[in-house]
Amino acid sequence: MDKYLLIPLLPLIAFTINIVFGKGIIKEKAHWVSILAVLGSFVISASTFTEVLNGKIINYDVYNWIVSGNFRVTIGFLIDQLTAIMLIVVTSVSLLVHIYSVGYMHGDKGYYRFFAYLSLFTFSMLMLVMGNNLLQLYFGWEAVGLCSYFLIGFWYEKKSAADAGKKAFIVNRFGDFGFGLGVIMIFLMLGTVHYSDIFSKVGTLTGQTINILGYNVDLITLIALLLFCGAVGKSAQIPLHVWLPDAMEGPTPVSALIHAATMVTAGVFMVARFNPLFSLSEVAMNVVALTGAITSLFAATIALVQNDIKRIVAYSTVSQLGYMFLACGVGAYGAGIFHLYTHAYFKALLFLGAGSVMHAMAGELDVQKMGGLKKHMPITYITFLIASLSIAGIPGLAGFFSKDEILWLAYNHGMVGKIVWAMGTVVAALTAFYSFRIIFLAFHGKFRGTHEQEHHLHESPKVMTIPLIILAIGAISAGWFGIPAALGGSNAIAHFFEPVLGHPHVTAGHEEEFMVMGISIAAAIGGIFISWIFYSLKPEMPKNLAKKFKRIYITLWNKYYVDELYDFIIVRPMKWLANSILVAVTDGKIIEGIVNGVPQAIRNFSERLRKLQTGQLQHYGLGMALGLFVILALVLIAAGR
Amino acid sequence: MNIPFPDLRPVTPEIIMTLSATALLILELIFKNKGVLAFIGILAAAAVMYIMPASMGETFGGMFISDSYSIFFKFIFIINLILTILISLRYIQRQKAEYGEYYSLLLFATAGMMLMASAKDLIILYLGLELMALSTYILAGIKRHDVKSNEAAIKYFLLGGFSSALLLYGISLLYGMTTTTDIYKIAEHLKATGVTTTLLLSMILIAVAFLFKIAAAPFHMWAPDVYEGAPTSITAFMSVGPKAAGFAVIGRVFYTAFQNIQTDWTTILIGIAILTMAVGNILAIVQTNIKRMLAYSSIAHAGYILLGIIAGTTEGLNAMMTYLFIYAFMNIGAFAIVIILDRGEELSDYEGLAKNRPLVAALMLVFMFSLTGIPPTAGFIAKFNLFTAVIKAGYTWLVIIAVMFSAISAYYYLRVVMNMYMKEMKQEAAIHLSPSLSLAILITVLMVLIIGIMPSMVIG
Amino acid sequence: MLSKLFFGYFAVIMVALSLLVITRRNPVHSVLWMLVLFFHIAGLYLFLNAEFLAAVQVILYAGAILVLFLFVIMMLNIKVEITAERFIGEWPIGVALGLSILMLIYFTTSKLIQGPAGQFSIEAIKAETHTKALGKVLYTEYLFPFEIASLILLIAIVGAIVLAKKRG
Repeated sequence: MDKYLLIPLLPLIAFTINIVFGKGIIKEKAHWVSILAVLGSFVISASTFTEVLNGKIINYDVYNWIVSGNFRVTIGFLIDQLTAIMLIVVTSVSLLVHIYSVGYMHGDKGYYRFFAYLSLFTFSMLMLVMGNNLLQLYFGWEAVGLCSYFLIGFWYEKKSAADAGKKAFIVNRFGDFGFGLGVIMIFLMLGTVHYSDIFSKVGTLTGQTINILGYNVDLITLIALLLFCGAVGKSAQIPLHVWLPDAMEGPTPVSALIHAATMVTAGVFMVARFNPLFSLSEVAMNVVALTGAITSLFAATIALVQNDIKRIVAYSTVSQLGYMFLACGVGAYGAGIFHLYTHAYFKALLFLGAGSVMHAMAGELDVQKMGGLKKHMPITYITFLIASLSIAGIPGLAGFFSKDEILWLAYNHGMVGKIVWAMGTVVAALTAFYSFRIIFLAFHGKFRGTHEQEHHLHESPKVMTIPLIILAIGAISAGWFGIPAALGGSNAIAHFFEPVLGHPHVTAGHEEEFMVMGISIAAAIGGIFISWIFYSLKPEMPKNLAKKFKRIYITLWNKYYVDELYDFIIVRPMKWLANSILVAVTDGKIIEGIVNGVPQAIRNFSERLRKLQTGQLQHYGLGMALGLFVILALVLIAAGR
Repeated sequence: MNIPFPDLRPVTPEIIMTLSATALLILELIFKNKGVLAFIGILAAAAVMYIMPASMGETFGGMFISDSYSIFFKFIFIINLILTILISLRYIQRQKAEYGEYYSLLLFATAGMMLMASAKDLIILYLGLELMALSTYILAGIKRHDVKSNEAAIKYFLLGGFSSALLLYGISLLYGMTTTTDIYKIAEHLKATGVTTTLLLSMILIAVAFLFKIAAAPFHMWAPDVYEGAPTSITAFMSVGPKAAGFAVIGRVFYTAFQNIQTDWTTILIGIAILTMAVGNILAIVQTNIKRMLAYSSIAHAGYILLGIIAGTTEGLNAMMTYLFIYAFMNIGAFAIVIILDRGEELSDYEGLAKNRPLVAALMLVFMFSLTGIPPTAGFIAKFNLFTAVIKAGYTWLVIIAVMFSAISAYYYLRVVMNMYMKEMKQEAAIHLSPSLSLAILITVLMVLIIGIMPSMVIG
Repeated sequence: MLSKLFFGYFAVIMVALSLLVITRRNPVHSVLWMLVLFFHIAGLYLFLNAEFLAAVQVILYAGAILVLFLFVIMMLNIKVEITAERFIGEWPIGVALGLSILMLIYFTTSKLIQGPAGQFSIEAIKAETHTKALGKVLYTEYLFPFEIASLILLIAIVGAIVLAKKRG
């Protein structure tokens, strides 16, 4: 057995052990199994990473599952620069979240189940990123969705949690439908599902069109957009972003792992993986860039006014994912993945920090009811501050380098690039603002919660704070691989990615780059400064502003009414349809035939057929004779003799 | 007249099988512990399995042929036999039907199936069929004190007699036309004389008899009643063995003897296959008794398997054989779960099983997934393999129909799963575990999963 | 012509007798009609120069088996049998279906092209005597089917015993 196989296999084994023996034998020791497994995966991933760093590309089929003509279903691994970095992100964050969960989930009655699901998720995610073919990607894609569904609804007794799980599942179906069509289209057009074959053949599709309802659609654009549909769903972009904030009903470690660092980035990964395809269609690229930019701005504005700490971070995730798509859309795939990688650390840290706060506040999520936590939980405060500085884009920290790379490359990408660059810069300011809003509201000032809560405040146990510290180190240093040449660095990560993701050609000089950088730094510092004024210096100001711009405030508070809109145009008509049909049933006459749809029709038919099965031997004999007669008669008639 | 002593090598497996069956009849008097008999039965089966590959050849003046085709089917029969003995051991004790003859009859029935698969002569075919059928009639009614079991036996017997009469009529017409009962000589002769309506008649009569054995609609009506009434272990046995034997003879007789009227019988079988899939799948939906549901499911599966015959290619035949092989494991596995539960015959008995007996529920889930054809179980491989073969033979539309019915089938298979996982438990489910039953379940579930994950073992 | 007439008589009477066997209310009557039926079958065998089969038919079927049947019937409670309803009301459909199938079969078999004659012509059998010819074939060429048939009989016996054995 080769070691690459072990990377996904270890978590799978851990899942099996936990689900089989968890309830009876292992019980509250379940974490050991999962942690050891993911630790093993991490170690192997790290060694694989060094191999890739030395120029080794692994691409082989582990196992031929079904071979039928030119249809090959295989399990195979492609480990190149892109996969290698994903492996590091997935296994390291997963490992830390596993450890953190030991403290966070302590005493939960589904303890073993939680770790089993986490392992299963890790397995699925690893299969997704390691696959060398589309079907495996699709398998992993659906499997992570399923795990996410399980984990969001982990506390299924809570109705909101169960509903959120359902919502995530259903919303993702919309995107996955398109994605599935895209996969089928690729197979039909190219006759293969293996990346290497797809990318070598994809050029042959250039210029081909397909007729849909009378319009000639460019084939590559169509396929790219269909695939992008899946990414929009999975990575929570407009208009399918609605599930992610609700997904915060799941346990916080799940939010950190699945809804910040790994699963939601699968869409970005997929677009980057298919860069040879996307790059062939300018339309698709612009759609990706604009979707990313609009989502980024849109989510950031919502995050400004929310009070639920996890939701703020969730909208921030949506916004940052938009950033990554923005990067991909301007051809800066490397920068997008670089941001994915740094984002994984600071965003996971923000979530785990939020979890630590919740832990201390007995589940309280409202930042308005916190305050002054700094002195009670210093480690959480410092790490949270580091993460916020990183996401705000303060020079020297991880977030700065990746964000700056994206903005700089966007700036250099023609007209569309300039537009998304401008939007991205605004988002940078907004991001700094809302991140520090949490800092000032939750950690500074006076405590605004109940007396009981205040009495209860404490720093989280070591098993939770150590992952925070490690992640904080990541949030600081993860970007040092990508220090741009303008700042005297070598931008090692861009060169690392270049063979697989390419690197846009930049003509502009360092002066311009310093200008772009300066603007984004100014935006970040400006955001933090305004936040300081609003929430530390003059706390009454935001309230006055909210009163003054009441309409805007309420729109933002209600998240632009998107949920309400969907409720109005999709959910309610459906419910109305269902209800009116139900009414028709109770009335009993009008549309009885259609009511319960096909299953009931079949059932009724079946009931009628069943009457033939009388149990009378004579009838059976007659049935046989009748069958014989009919066959004989038909054959004789057909034979015409 | 000097007739040389026939070469017994090709027929050794059958000889061992019948000798062991006869020996069991006598040993029954000696051993009070019937488990010993079961053990001897398994030993005999294992011995037969072991020597089978070496038995290639023809004998008895070309009446009997042992080729790779028949040997593959015999493997299915032996597996069916071994698994049935394993699941029977404790179960027939519980059912107060523990007669030593039980095992003997199982062996005789298997010997009959083996003869059918190896018959190169219609007389052997008929006698093998009767040997199998008579043994199963008795086995179906072996719960003497149970009215339902008696009813099952008598129904099966009478309708089986009816179908045998049709078969004999068909064979006699064929003999009248060709003056031979040798399948290959018949083929030669018919090629020379051409198609007549009499030939079509005899083909239809023979087809009806075989279709009766595989429980294809509209000759399926016995199946639900018999499957429900018979002891569950025998239901498992009947749903695999005689069905596979029926397909074995359909493949042999239709592909060789009736080669020159292939278009005619293909058309008939297409109609029958569609009807069978429809009846099996649609009626399974309304069943509340799981044995009846599995009976209809087995009818539906017969419909799918017929597609392999319809394809008319070697690939189709191979796919059919693979399907039957896989079907043996998943179906007997499902019945084994029915047996393991103290009360497991009604669909409502499965409500909340997952909370109470998670392992049993998980196993049932595997079998139900496999019967539905959900990857990565063997059932998916079986269907995939079969459907691709049929598409290659040019019957894409037929496969679309089959896939549609397959989708319908998910409704009733997954209802069992839903009952187990989504519904609230009504009462604690008691289980009867025995080493032999566990072994049978272990074998079946492993095969279902291993074939599902490593299909190259059986395909290609 | 004469032979056709002879066969026609036997065939028609056999069908009629079979109908009588299954339609009588009193099982004893049925069995007696069956006896007559068996004699006719024996007659048909004789007509085919199969005197051994004819003799066996009379001795075994008419002699032994029917007597057993009668024994069994005498032991059953016949009164109940007589009063029970014998048909389930759908018999006209059955008859119509049967006649239709008969018509189709007649229609098709009338075009039967007979295959080549085998080695056992009437002359050949006469020369060798029927019993000897049958015995030779049965124990040489048809030894294998013969053995299988013996197994079937064994099963029948076993089955009867199993199903009638006292509950252990």
